[in-house]
Amino acid sequence: MSLSHEEIKNVAFLARIGLSDEEVERVGKDLDSILGYVDRLQKIDTADVPEAASPVVDAKNFRVDEADACTDAERALIVDNFPASQGGMLKAPAVFERPKK
Amino acid sequence: MKSANELTLTEAREALDHAEIFSLELTKACLAEIQSRNPALNAFLEIWQESALQEAKASDERRARGESLGVLDGIPIAIKDNMLIEGRKCSSASKILENYVSVRDATVIKKLKAQGAVFLGRTNMDEFAMGGSTENSAFGPTRNPHDPDRVPGGSSGGSAVAVAANLCLAATGSDTGGSIRQPASFCGVVGLKPTYGRVSRSGLMAMASSFDQIGPLAKSVEDAALLFEAVAGKDALDQTTVDAKPFEPAWRENLQGIRIGLPKQAWGQGIDGEVRTPVEHAVSVLKRLGAEVVDVELPYAEEVLAVYYIVMPCEASTNLSRFDGMRYGAREHASNLLETYLETRGENIGPEARRRILLGTYALSAGYYDAYYKKAKQVQTLIKNAYADALTHVDALLTPTTPTVAYEIGSKVNDPLSMYLGDLFTVGANVAGLPAVSVPCKEVSGLPVGMHLTGKAFDESTLLAIAGAYEQS
Repeated sequence: MSLSHEEIKNVAFLARIGLSDEEVERVGKDLDSILGYVDRLQKIDTADVPEAASPVVDAKNFRVDEADACTDAERALIVDNFPASQGGMLKAPAVFERPKK
Repeated sequence: MKSANELTLTEAREALDHAEIFSLELTKACLAEIQSRNPALNAFLEIWQESALQEAKASDERRARGESLGVLDGIPIAIKDNMLIEGRKCSSASKILENYVSVRDATVIKKLKAQGAVFLGRTNMDEFAMGGSTENSAFGPTRNPHDPDRVPGGSSGGSAVAVAANLCLAATGSDTGGSIRQPASFCGVVGLKPTYGRVSRSGLMAMASSFDQIGPLAKSVEDAALLFEAVAGKDALDQTTVDAKPFEPAWRENLQGIRIGLPKQAWGQGIDGEVRTPVEHAVSVLKRLGAEVVDVELPYAEEVLAVYYIVMPCEASTNLSRFDGMRYGAREHASNLLETYLETRGENIGPEARRRILLGTYALSAGYYDAYYKKAKQVQTLIKNAYADALTHVDALLTPTTPTVAYEIGSKVNDPLSMYLGDLFTVGANVAGLPAVSVPCKEVSGLPVGMHLTGKAFDESTLLAIAGAYEQS
């Protein structure tokens, strides 16, 4: 199977990855060869075969559902990792754009 | 006589216990070797010289008082750059996390600190542990100490090189499809991927969460066992860790009563002669030690790679969605939120990680989920059953670790599929959740070759006993 440029662009948009036209071309070729390889699974009869279970998740392993305090030092590290901040708060681009006039 | 940095962990432990050496001496010897060889090898991304010397001094002072924090007290080790150490940079060799500083310790780091280990620095890797050559690092490739024109394997290539070139006594790695065992094989060291659920993944940057597992890279099987034991155990911060019978070494000199299976399907496939011959020789050594070696059926030998290259990118694309430039990491400044996401992820995530994100996003997208993800998870069930069947007849399965020896840098970068095919013998243990170890073959003509043993779930004792008997033979 072969993915169209439109499909690649759509997947890249879903994954929020900006790709140049040249990259769309290259990624398309890479994905085609990988999808061609994994296609062999379609030949395996999996009727009535259950999906592999998730790794063991033991309910006893859940921690108590309560907030963990963080120390001042940890807080400082978190704030220092912000790509942009103002007054110790995380600064992010606006989710809603200003209405166009 | 060996210089201090050339000692195995076990030898260093003994020398420390008998006051024949100091941790400061061991640490200085490693740091000197790093200074001299790291510029060419690029195994370490950052060296923590001052704190390492302080940690070594503190360990020596403890020992002088007759105190010990454990078997790793005073032992200089290296840490793969995807395990968090509070207050230290941790980048997963990605540009997007180039300046990220860890807020807390990973559980394995907590355990290593509690045992008094000395941290030399963080090691290079394929970005987000994606790759088998350490060429996918945003900070340049690591080189194989046996031939600097060749790759060290990956993704834990920096750790494998640090051990092989005696820049440390042992190192941590993580393994999602072979990332500990394959570089161990290419560099001639021991690499263990424990059973899924043995070692806490808390504080390990996630790639494919249902396959990821932390393990040791070491100079001997016994060293690998010591480091494994130090980091294993159930952890409240990782729900997938299991309260299993703790690992206990059960070393043996002969292999009487041990049955080893050679999976027919794997041995029939394209294995280079320079790999096949040394591994076949290793098989003859195991027989001489008393092991019974039999051919076994292990169906789905090719499908296992296909399952891996669907499930892994699906999980990776989900895990890597957090790197969007909002709460941490690099952020490109664009005109609006959408453009900020697109540019940040497009500019700061490398080609291989982008490829896997796109593959995973595609396989999980509406209309394709059943054909890819669901199908792969069904075939995974068949593979798990096939391994379980095979391992009812034998104690371990034996193959080469990789179909080829280390290849030249740059020779596979433009052909991802051919790079992926190098994982053929290692991914099965991850897909089936089983422990596996790569041990250097003794009789090689040139570059190192690894023998790969896969064992029963939570029976690392038998697995390492077989590996250890071969090593000591």
